Amino acid sequence: MTETSRPGVSRRSTLALMGAGAMTFATPWVARAQAKTIKIGMPTILSGRVAQLGTSSRNGVMIEVDKINAAGGLAGRQIEMVIRDSKGAPQEAARVARELVNTDGCELLLDAEASSGAFAVHEVARDLGVFCIHTNSETSSLTADPKQHIPNAFRTARQGVHDSIVGGGYAAAIAKVKGLKKWATCSPDYAYGRDTTGEFVYYLKQFAPDVEIVSDAWPKLFQPDYTEVVTKILQAKPQALYSALWGGDLTSYIDQANIYALFSQMEVFAVNMADYTALTVVKNLPKGIHSGNRYIKTYPATAENAAWGDAYKAKYSEYPTNWSWENATAVMLIAEASRKANSADGKKLADAMRGLTIKSPFGADGTVTMRAEDQTLIGYAIGWGTTIPNEPYVPEVKSGDWKQILALEAEWKKTKGYT
Amino acid sequence: MTELQAERARERTIESSAVPRIETRSKRLRYIDVLIAVAAFALLAALPFLFSSKALIDFVIRCAAFGLFATSLNLLVGYTGMISFGHGMFFGLGAYGFGLIMQRTGVPIPVAFIGTLLITTLVAAVIGAICVRLKEIYFAFVTLAFQMLIHSTILSWTSLTGGDQGLRGGIPRPVFLGIDLSNQMHLYIASCTLLVSGLLLMRQIAQSPFGYTLRMIRDNASRASFIGIDVWRAKLTIFVLAALFASTGGIIMSLFVSGAYPEFAYWTISGEGIFINMLGGVTTFLGPMVGTVLLLILNDTVTRLTEYYGIVLGIVILFFAIGLRKGLMDFMVEWCEQRRDGAKERA
Amino acid sequence: MDIDALTGCLASSACLVTQTTSGFIIGMLLFLVAVGLTLIFGVLKVVNFSHGAFYMFGAYFAMTAYQVTGSFALAMFCGASGTAILGLVFERVFMSRVYGGDVLMQLLVCYAFVLIFDDVVRLVWGPEFRSMGMPSAFQVPPLFIAGGVVPPYYLLLIGVALAVAAILGVGLARTKIGKVIRAAAHNPGMVSALGINTGLIYGGVFALGGMLAGLAGALAAPVRSLTPGMGFSVLIESFIVTVIGGMGSILGALIGALLIGMIRSYGSLGFPLFTDGLMYLFMVIVLVARPTGLFGKEVA
Repeated sequence: MTETSRPGVSRRSTLALMGAGAMTFATPWVARAQAKTIKIGMPTILSGRVAQLGTSSRNGVMIEVDKINAAGGLAGRQIEMVIRDSKGAPQEAARVARELVNTDGCELLLDAEASSGAFAVHEVARDLGVFCIHTNSETSSLTADPKQHIPNAFRTARQGVHDSIVGGGYAAAIAKVKGLKKWATCSPDYAYGRDTTGEFVYYLKQFAPDVEIVSDAWPKLFQPDYTEVVTKILQAKPQALYSALWGGDLTSYIDQANIYALFSQMEVFAVNMADYTALTVVKNLPKGIHSGNRYIKTYPATAENAAWGDAYKAKYSEYPTNWSWENATAVMLIAEASRKANSADGKKLADAMRGLTIKSPFGADGTVTMRAEDQTLIGYAIGWGTTIPNEPYVPEVKSGDWKQILALEAEWKKTKGYT
Repeated sequence: MTELQAERARERTIESSAVPRIETRSKRLRYIDVLIAVAAFALLAALPFLFSSKALIDFVIRCAAFGLFATSLNLLVGYTGMISFGHGMFFGLGAYGFGLIMQRTGVPIPVAFIGTLLITTLVAAVIGAICVRLKEIYFAFVTLAFQMLIHSTILSWTSLTGGDQGLRGGIPRPVFLGIDLSNQMHLYIASCTLLVSGLLLMRQIAQSPFGYTLRMIRDNASRASFIGIDVWRAKLTIFVLAALFASTGGIIMSLFVSGAYPEFAYWTISGEGIFINMLGGVTTFLGPMVGTVLLLILNDTVTRLTEYYGIVLGIVILFFAIGLRKGLMDFMVEWCEQRRDGAKERA
Repeated sequence: MDIDALTGCLASSACLVTQTTSGFIIGMLLFLVAVGLTLIFGVLKVVNFSHGAFYMFGAYFAMTAYQVTGSFALAMFCGASGTAILGLVFERVFMSRVYGGDVLMQLLVCYAFVLIFDDVVRLVWGPEFRSMGMPSAFQVPPLFIAGGVVPPYYLLLIGVALAVAAILGVGLARTKIGKVIRAAAHNPGMVSALGINTGLIYGGVFALGGMLAGLAGALAAPVRSLTPGMGFSVLIESFIVTVIGGMGSILGALIGALLIGMIRSYGSLGFPLFTDGLMYLFMVIVLVARPTGLFGKEVA
């Protein structure tokens, strides 16, 4: 029987493979002719329930790449983005990342995957030694854990622990003023939800020691029906609620909590509320939800930030998301690093990036810094305020103090055994 | 009925059950299988020297992982008629078992490999003992339920499995017998070895008397038990054997991504196994292998061109399910037979 | 694991009432979504794996109709009728071709359409999640019934669910058309020999099943965010409910849904991080003890 399935045995497949082989041999010549462009690979999620992560990451990248190319490119080389969908599966993310580097000739990687995909791409970066920036994963251990540390990987996403320090401080102040002693939490049951909530509670209790958690609920990610979660919280009669729910889940939860009149019975602190995706979608947004900023064009209240937000909206007909600014920052850092190193080579970029500070519309003081010690972003605008159902959505934001954040973060690392 | 008549009736029953070419496996045929396997391995080993494409190496490694998984599923679906919706649980079990053993203990890779297979045997035996007595669609439901339960446990048991983040930090790959699996070429050769030997073993199982027992069970389980076959035992045996090969596929995947993720134990893996079998065809032994290559090529090409992978995959599935109504290998085998019959008629 | 919370609740009558009420609400919502699936299996012996996609379309049609017209009733009508038509077309053009074949082919056809439909929704409505919003008529405080808290909107949903159960249960058992449908399920050859168009019956039943899924989606839209792929989690839930209750049995789906509702409600107290696992464990136990489900009949 003819073995038509084994590669290389049937004539047709041999010819096809020889053709492919010929093309692979020819690529160096073709590549030399195109040495003017530099390819940057970007694995991300463009389909499924979290597709908005990928589309807004892509937008954030392209709006900056277009500016750089217009100004001459990276050390004279025009950027060509190769963006590919991993459908949210970590083994696909690993495969796509490898393919981008090995087959498509990408010299740099912008990893716009969510957390588990980011860990998978991190292993690829470790194996291949390719320059990689994680732009969306907020899991602190990705850079805090020394076992994960590799010299060629960076992160420009915000960190859960930073959000929790600022949130805990803000909430503690309000708790003291309004006498909120009994708290409940309701967060999605996965690493981000558990870690962020745990850290928030830790810092809340640090700043307001007589706070007590009377109930906790852990719905599954993308769970459609929150009835048992809402009633469990209501039963415990807390005075305040913390939630790390985000996106569509947060919207569903607000809708369902509304019909139980939950918002009239307790103060709600939802760290992911102040994001345009949620703010513009929720139809009956209750007033007075406390939230951390994700991306708000009025915070920082600078002209640069507002201009960036408006330009993004004009180009893509939707507001930027948290993912948008994190990805834009990665590109901005690469641009500055290549200027400093006068090269677009991955290793030189990595050396230039460590400790680099750049001007940024998203910086707390107008700048952000890529910390050299663990190669993650610090100095970005981070603050909390209360939301209203219409523009500007978060009229007043109380900023976090980066000196305090850094000090507490250092302590946190010690307790986790990361130093 | 006399003893003799009963025996004659039994022989006729065995002959008339729809099994093709029931000659006992002669040494010559087994020899040919081994020869084909060696030739295939030699070709695979030579590939990287003919074409210096890293993507091809990655592609073949993934084909090895999914090919073993899909072919093992076919042992259940095509040869025994047991439609399992939860076979992916063993793929995930293999990945996590191997990953955990390597990360937590310092044993050499072959020891971890054997250890993972032992764990899989145990789990498959327990689950199989509960499941295989159910028939048809209920077997499918309960295997799916078990897979969901295992997936849920992997997600909840964060201290052991890392929860939704999976096993992080990479899988240590200490050198053994001069083989360094962190070197892509060594991993490639190891995967090809596992693939070829796995397929060879599964082929022997399929073509052995046990394999024909399975076909008999597929065609008419009550008739099979009437002639004295312990159907439950046979089904349990093949369930465990199939689990072992699926587990090996999972081990290869965990080495490829240097980790293990809950997605490896999710129903989507079982679903992909079923598509691959449908794409390639369940009536030939190499059908699932063809299906694996097809699906992976389709996946890689389409994700390179568009982000609307769903529409393309959906149309391809419809083409095979409604248009061809059979897998590619089935179609080709039938087409060849038609031509052969046509030639015979004309002759 | 928090067994103390669970036992503490079982000891307190106030907690018992609240948890049971919420379990009842969850169960009725689950039944509303799952009943279409069990109907199609009961009559056509087909597992409609694209059930979640009909739910999704019902929600999206309803949301768009509500945005355009501002009428809740019209939105519900659009959601239900849109998916009824979709179900009819889907069954006549595609599903009818794979009835004879084995379950894998049916699974593949349904799954192919789930993939296609998800991407179509993404193309037409965009990948970002959307919200329909609660009509002002229902923006009222919750009611207190027998010590339990019940939002008025859920009262509507429970009412619809009970009505569906009653109509289907009585309709299939007592009315003439119900008997024809059951006969066509049992022996299609005979029924068509009597001059009845079985194709029409099959199409009608599938349309009805699709409509029920779409209606559930439309009714859920004011309280749940809409996103492509939202049908998937609903499919899994419906699947668990119908398998536990018995594929093909309306009463089984009702009982199964209420059981799952109670497990979720009490489970979130005692096992907050393993509530899903509890459901699957329960499903395994039922399948092992009674493969056809609590009220199911053996498939011929």
